[in-house]
Amino acid sequence: MIEFKNVNKWFGKLHVLNNINLKIPKGEVLVICGPSGSGKSTLIRCINRLEKIQKGEIIVNNTPVHDKLSNLTKLRAQIGFVFQQFHLYPHMTVLQNVMLAPVNVKQLDKKEAEKIAREKLEQVGLTEKSGAHPAQLSGGQQQRVAIARGLAMSPEIMLFDEPTSALDPEMIGEVLDVMVNLVSEGMTMCVVTHEMGFAKKVAHRVLFMDDGKIVETGTPVDFFDNPKTDRAAEFISKILTH
Amino acid sequence: MMGFYFSRLVEIYPFFLKGLWMTSKIAFISLVTCTLLGFILGIFRSSNNIILKRIVGVYVAFVRGTPFVVQIFIVFFILPEWGIQLDAFPAALLAMAIMGSAFICEIVAGGIDSISRGQWEAAASSGLTLIQQLRLVIVPQAMKVILPPLVGQYVLLIKDTSVVSVIGVMELTRVGWVTVVRIPEGLMVFSLVGALYFSISYPLILLSNYLERKMAVQ
Repeated sequence: MIEFKNVNKWFGKLHVLNNINLKIPKGEVLVICGPSGSGKSTLIRCINRLEKIQKGEIIVNNTPVHDKLSNLTKLRAQIGFVFQQFHLYPHMTVLQNVMLAPVNVKQLDKKEAEKIAREKLEQVGLTEKSGAHPAQLSGGQQQRVAIARGLAMSPEIMLFDEPTSALDPEMIGEVLDVMVNLVSEGMTMCVVTHEMGFAKKVAHRVLFMDDGKIVETGTPVDFFDNPKTDRAAEFISKILTH
Repeated sequence: MMGFYFSRLVEIYPFFLKGLWMTSKIAFISLVTCTLLGFILGIFRSSNNIILKRIVGVYVAFVRGTPFVVQIFIVFFILPEWGIQLDAFPAALLAMAIMGSAFICEIVAGGIDSISRGQWEAAASSGLTLIQQLRLVIVPQAMKVILPPLVGQYVLLIKDTSVVSVIGVMELTRVGWVTVVRIPEGLMVFSLVGALYFSISYPLILLSNYLERKMAVQ
């Protein structure tokens, strides 16, 4: 479903993605971890071309993402993206946030879009907040709205860029619960996170990045209990003891 | 003596009303065209397209760095050299549009730049086109930053219409000049001219103050 072929990207002189080869089949839940600056966020931001690559190919659902001629709007409509900082639209209500893309990208009529939006808000447990503005919600609630906003487009892929890193500890659980539910629905997911509990519980595969390279991949059990590389072992011990 | 002039002034008040009408007309058309052009230029100025950004930047710098009077003369006296002959009224409107759009461009670009990248990225990620991102997500938020200085700029633009009197447009200031030749009571004549300008701009000053307070609260 998602394929990286010899992908390279530089920010100036910094080689942020160094020859990445990766295949993510439909329905897989992939957790990407690694130290900060390792290129993990950049990697998933390339999947919907929030970042452009300079070399190589990225193919999503048979669409070459790296190709300028590809229909970016259509591609992005199939991919939900959840940001660390939520980025809800502050001038709209929760319901309007979730309805915006279905109405304007999919051209659904308002009633239908509202029905879908309410379903998705129910799915993330925020039915009663539909009339509120983002500023009135807690961080955890805002992130759940952001997930509902992504789901409202019925995407085939959901990308999460450190979805719980900006949250107070007591709110992390509610967001992870929503994500675990998504896994059970068979959603294809790429999650940049350090939440080992989440990774162990639901990930099919863990990918460890350092210095723009994929250093190691494996099942969560293999990766966390028997890391093959010293670099990964060091990283795991750090996030365990912090 | 003063009373005599005052009665003459009463005689020629239709002339003042005509001037006020002309000033209002120039002001209204200019505010509309400057706003439209200013938003388009402001969006270009805050875009990621470096060439577009630079071109608009040079335009804005040129307009801001030269006196409006000189710009009017360029439009009125120099364009005809290149075969573009304009009457005083359209020349005045063109000069106003050039000047006003540059100032509004800066206000709009400042407002758009105040919106975080994340808002663009969220909107883009959900599949909205660039124009939809601007129309639905960015500009509505930027308006809070744009609106108070924009209305303030409107007040400045209304007052700047007085400068087009130099090319003979019969607006309020020109009416003042012409009148003072016949009625040599400068203080009275120009007090009246000033009062008439004030009657148009004061409501906007109040609006600008109101918006500033309202946006500050939010």
